[in-house]
Amino acid sequence: MQMMNGIGGGTELPSPPSDGISNLRFSNHSDHLLVSSWDKTVRLYDARENVLKGEFFHSAAVLDCCFHDDSSGFSAGADHTVRRHVFSTGKEEILGRHKAPVRCVEYSHAAGQVITGSWDKTLKCWDPRGASGQERTLVGTYFQPERVYSIALVGTRLVVATAGRHVNIYDLRNMSQPEQRRESSLKYQTRCVRCYPNGTGYALSSVEGRVAMEFFDTSDSGQAKKYAFKCHRKTEDGKDFVYPVNAIAFHPIYGTFSTGGCDGVVNVWDGNNKKRLFQYTKYPNSISALSFSKDGQLLAVASSYTYERGDVPHSPDSIFVRNVNEIEVKPKPKMYSNPESEAKSKARV
Amino acid sequence: MIGSMMRSSLSGLPQDQLMQMETTCGTLLYELQIIWDEVGEKDMDRDKMLLELEQECLEVYRRKVDQANKLRAQLKRDIAESEAELAAICSVMSEPPVHVKKKNNILKEELKAILPHLEAMRKLKADRRKQFVVVLEQIHKISVEIESGEHNSSKMVVDESDLSLTRLEELQRLLESLQKEKTGRLKQVLDQLNTLNSLCLVLGMDFKQTVNEIHPTLDHSENSKNISNATIEQLGVAIKRLRDVKLQRMEVLQDLATSMLELWNLMDTPVEEQHSFQNVTRNIAASEQEITEPNTLSLDFIKCVEAEVSRLDELKMSKMKQLIMKKNLDLEDLRRRTHIVVDMDSEMDIAIEAIESGAIAPCLVLEQIENKISNVKEEAFARKEILDKVEKWLIACGEESWLEEYNRDDNRYSAGKGAHLTLKRAEKARATVSKLPAMVEFLVGKTKAWENERNTSFTYDGVNLLSMLEDYIILRQEKELERRRQRDQKKLHGQFIAEQEVLFGSKPSPSKQHSVKKGARNSMGGPSGNRRFSHGGAMLQQHSSRQDLLLSAKANRIRKADNGTPGTLSSVRRGLDVVGLQGTFVKGLSFNGRDTTEAHTTRKPFTPLSSVPKPAMTPSKPTTDINIAVSSSEDENRIPLPIQTPKTPKTSNMLMSTTPAPEPRSIVYSAHNDEIEYSFEEKRAGFKLPPRESSHNI
Repeated sequence: MQMMNGIGGGTELPSPPSDGISNLRFSNHSDHLLVSSWDKTVRLYDARENVLKGEFFHSAAVLDCCFHDDSSGFSAGADHTVRRHVFSTGKEEILGRHKAPVRCVEYSHAAGQVITGSWDKTLKCWDPRGASGQERTLVGTYFQPERVYSIALVGTRLVVATAGRHVNIYDLRNMSQPEQRRESSLKYQTRCVRCYPNGTGYALSSVEGRVAMEFFDTSDSGQAKKYAFKCHRKTEDGKDFVYPVNAIAFHPIYGTFSTGGCDGVVNVWDGNNKKRLFQYTKYPNSISALSFSKDGQLLAVASSYTYERGDVPHSPDSIFVRNVNEIEVKPKPKMYSNPESEAKSKARV
Repeated sequence: MIGSMMRSSLSGLPQDQLMQMETTCGTLLYELQIIWDEVGEKDMDRDKMLLELEQECLEVYRRKVDQANKLRAQLKRDIAESEAELAAICSVMSEPPVHVKKKNNILKEELKAILPHLEAMRKLKADRRKQFVVVLEQIHKISVEIESGEHNSSKMVVDESDLSLTRLEELQRLLESLQKEKTGRLKQVLDQLNTLNSLCLVLGMDFKQTVNEIHPTLDHSENSKNISNATIEQLGVAIKRLRDVKLQRMEVLQDLATSMLELWNLMDTPVEEQHSFQNVTRNIAASEQEITEPNTLSLDFIKCVEAEVSRLDELKMSKMKQLIMKKNLDLEDLRRRTHIVVDMDSEMDIAIEAIESGAIAPCLVLEQIENKISNVKEEAFARKEILDKVEKWLIACGEESWLEEYNRDDNRYSAGKGAHLTLKRAEKARATVSKLPAMVEFLVGKTKAWENERNTSFTYDGVNLLSMLEDYIILRQEKELERRRQRDQKKLHGQFIAEQEVLFGSKPSPSKQHSVKKGARNSMGGPSGNRRFSHGGAMLQQHSSRQDLLLSAKANRIRKADNGTPGTLSSVRRGLDVVGLQGTFVKGLSFNGRDTTEAHTTRKPFTPLSSVPKPAMTPSKPTTDINIAVSSSEDENRIPLPIQTPKTPKTSNMLMSTTPAPEPRSIVYSAHNDEIEYSFEEKRAGFKLPPRESSHNI
């Protein structure tokens, strides 16, 4: 066990990908960590044991990955292909193809389907059990207004964020048309969208250092709760720097969330009390992905250059796994009642 | 003559046979005489022949007598030998000698009498011998078993000279004692094996292997065990060794158990968690003999306990650290509440780093923090009176500014909803304001007294209170002057109007006069004004208001610079500042999308935006990015944003810099855009939309 209290970046995993890390995710059953990378691999780590357990090689960059169960997972590639991997045997199957690189992949336990979003402006649902041919695995194709940039799931709700700041909200049980069509509250390109663990809404981040907290409830009272806040910025020598927010990860137990930006900083926020709970020390590279483990005790941080400044030299990409202290993620009741600040926050909501 | 001799010597033969022989001899002599007579042998020859005959007869007799004599001697010798043997046997067996009665001195009978005795005695001896052999063999066997080390192969030989019963008994006693010793040893060995077994169990070692090393026969329970001296010695050594190990491990375990108990006590570990290690702590005071439970002292178990202890230790460390952080938060909180500003972010970091590196014991840091807390508490107590006053003064100031604004409101007397409340508030505010100068004076006096007493300056949120008060007094004076000036002007104006009226008979609208001041209203959101402005907030302040007094020196500087710019332009600029368009570098972003359509120039990523021609920023064209930015910044203008101050430590809770999420605006996309927005990933992958499709909107 290692001690960490915001000092030090956590344990660095051995043999990290040799190129940009596109995503990483913890399993729902164990502390296994699935990592996809631009170096054309999908890697499986045991974060607790700190070992590399398996590796899959592809012909093109892997843009996203997710677990199926603890022994298998899916990956989405720049070669337009959606794959399924069985970790124990090292076997892989092709679920199907898009017409353009596949940007994101999610597995819905509620629907038993794999959902992929692609730059070909479609969303596709797949049934991973009939993995014998595309006719049988493909459940449906749903056209999107723009290229899909990020998708998020909670229960049977699916949030799709695309280029052009569109946000479509689907019910997985009826995919024929979106339940809601929205436009991002933020004025700049969407980077990441993630749903609240309690299923009431989603957080959406943009390239311009801002995160919007949105709610599914379309009533006026429901929409009155939404807000946006600025983060991942800094002022240096009188100049303001604003960084893209690449990653959002919700804590599975407390519902607080962490954000990671191109400034290499990971922040932990309490969305209900509108407070920042914690800021971890700066990582050497941009934060490209974040994931909490199933019990919320580990936070995997991908410190990896996200190509925001083009092809420039940068320090090597790495994955850190940090033990999360409760104090860093647990929402705090208001420490001292300051009627003025309360009145202020009320005024702002 | 022959006949008589014969008779005398052959007395044993039947009389008639002898008689017959005599007759036969006489007849033969007679016949010989007749023959001789007939032949006419001479008497001399006859005598010669007769002598020959006599001699031959004598010869025969002599031979017979010799034979008989020899036989007799043989018999005698046999008897003597037998008797001697008998005697020897008897003596060997230490039996009483057997006396055979001599019958009539007849030798043959004598011999016959002795022989059965001899036979019997021989048999007896052989039996005895066999007994000896059996006993000796057993003795030999046992002694070999006992002294297998010095394996003397010289087999014990029966001592033929002593086969007596006493000797046999002696040997049997020896055998018995040996057997006793053997069972004793066997018992000892078994005892030792048992001890060894329990030791091995406790220590978690392989009993069979341990025993096998000593002697391979020992681990087969059914087979006979080796009980030699060497084995026993080795067993003893092994037991001693294991016991030493056990004692050693016991000490280790008890040490661990002690620290474990301490840690449990320290951290109130729940009983369920303790339960799994109860068997460790139970043995904390146990003597060596009392620890018998299998595996309690095995290496694995000790390792496991060690791991638990180190886990607890680490837990303790982390708890300690949490405690320190909590205490630190308390301290900060306390300081914030008492408006004492100390830069302690770095010192905390250093402390935690030091703890992590093990340079400082956490309890020491804790103590330090406790000390600091008590110091701050003391200080807070000392400052309390003045702080209360300051609080009151600030509230009064807030009321004053509100009142000022209220007074400027032309519609203040309109009978709207809740107007009576406002009126009441205004009334109260006036009363408060009237007390303000006295309050300030009192506060100045108090503060001076306090400072004199302690020889330090009284700071409020890091700002010298006295200077704050002085600023306030100066401002008040200025304002007073201004008011007087305005009154004069009004008077002049009134005169002017009166003159005009005389001339033209009409009145210009008086409302225009206040338009200049309009901007000020935005920044003065009533008494809820910020106390802790950062420069972010400072930039939003438009004119010097009462609140500005509380700004830090840095903020003051910025404000002054800002004041230099003309009002209308600065409001636009200020808005841009917030969004970060003037003097701002948006790192990692290239606004080559919609921005550039506005500016009609393709700007390279990461060149300062200030190079974009200024006229482009006039808020005239709708649906452009900059436009939106400005409108949103106006939103932000309305509510000053508490942006993180640099003095607040990292770990404390910080308010998010939230702005109300603007309503989604419909923005016409890309249809008339030259360039399509791409994400970093798309750029990296070299992904391009087909040109025709790019204008296609779903």
